[in-house]
Amino acid sequence: MSVIEELTAELAKLPGIGRKTATRLTYHLLKQPAATVTRLAETIRAVGERVHPCTVCGNLSEVEPCPICADPRRDGSVVCVVEEASDIGPIERTGAYRGLYHVLGGRLSPLDGVGPDDLRVDALRSRLGNGSHVREVILATNPSMEGEVTATFVRGVLAATGVRVTRIALGLPMGGELEYADGVTIARALAARREMGEG
Amino acid sequence: MLVSTPAIILHAFPYGDTSKIVRLATRDLGVQSVIAKGAVRPKSPFGARLQAMSEGTAHLYHRSHRDLQTLSAFDVTNQHASLAAEMRRYAAAAALAELVLRFAHEEPQPVVYDGLAGALAALSEVPSEAVPYAALAALWHEIVLLGFAPTVDACVRCRGTLADRTPFSLAEGGLLCARCGRGAGGGALRGDDRAALHAFAAGRWDAPPLPAPHLAAHRRLLVRFIQRHVADDRAMPALAFWEGLT
Repeated sequence: MSVIEELTAELAKLPGIGRKTATRLTYHLLKQPAATVTRLAETIRAVGERVHPCTVCGNLSEVEPCPICADPRRDGSVVCVVEEASDIGPIERTGAYRGLYHVLGGRLSPLDGVGPDDLRVDALRSRLGNGSHVREVILATNPSMEGEVTATFVRGVLAATGVRVTRIALGLPMGGELEYADGVTIARALAARREMGEG
Repeated sequence: MLVSTPAIILHAFPYGDTSKIVRLATRDLGVQSVIAKGAVRPKSPFGARLQAMSEGTAHLYHRSHRDLQTLSAFDVTNQHASLAAEMRRYAAAAALAELVLRFAHEEPQPVVYDGLAGALAALSEVPSEAVPYAALAALWHEIVLLGFAPTVDACVRCRGTLADRTPFSLAEGGLLCARCGRGAGGGALRGDDRAALHAFAAGRWDAPPLPAPHLAAHRRLLVRFIQRHVADDRAMPALAFWEGLT
């Protein structure tokens, strides 16, 4: 196998990239200056060597513990549970959450062979053990069937800890219009309706 | 050709940045793989419709010799959301979906579809204490509808009448009479267990109450039967998950 075919085969292993796209990317790289290609290769190598899951929360980081866990200004009484490290970014960008995180490393999906042992649930339980300051765990798994069942599972595991367990709200997006929303989302929004306060 | 058919989403996974590949059990076309383009965009008309176990009407552009069809729309009639509220319900539904995904065909099998729809409804709605029975009934009945029925009415070997205490021959796929079962290894099924197996194969979950160890034995028997006669010993992770959970 030539090095061109090898690169194409490696790129085709990435999610969402088929053989055709991999070939196109390979020939695009071949047209770039050598320095550009070297920089890309070194960045990929650096990511592989230097980025690791934080031993506390599972977030991907170059330092141990990760900057969020190490930040003394964060609220250590709240832990937001997400499926993947990539889910932390969108929550952080809102600027509305100042607590800590816990990355499960996936979601329950028996059809894909992902069971409870594949998730970092024991690590979460350990974080809530004796001496913990955590008072609330927010389950922010995705609003899909697998995400919901994962939330159900985590809630069950945490039931004995006595920590308050909440679930992120599901419903209509800001800026959306009822007329164009699907029935499933509207039904969820109705079920999760809340009392309107004065504030 | 745009086709509309009753359908159930068995599995859905991302494809590229914005699309999803959805595996559907359809009433009119059997199991189909479809692409839902742009399904994960925030303003996609698919919205939250493409969730596993959702039941509804699929509108898809279908060409008979194409592996991947294009999903135009999916109108949900029942999301079976309560499956996610209890792990045992969801695990059984996932095992059922795996069974249909693996062994149903890309051709009309309305009986298989109707069995799946009925089983999902039962798993969603039965009281919590009936879930183990509904799960066994769902899986055994779907095996029967897929054409792998165990022999539970007469001796699988000689068609003779069954005694009160009857061994199940895994190799032959059914119950054995007293004469044929003489010296057969493994456990034997007595009255209630046999009645329960009979009910499960017919898709009925209102079997006589069984002690927990007997229910576990029924689960083991079902899993071994599937592995031997249906799956040819290939791994079935969702089925294993269901068996290990309960």
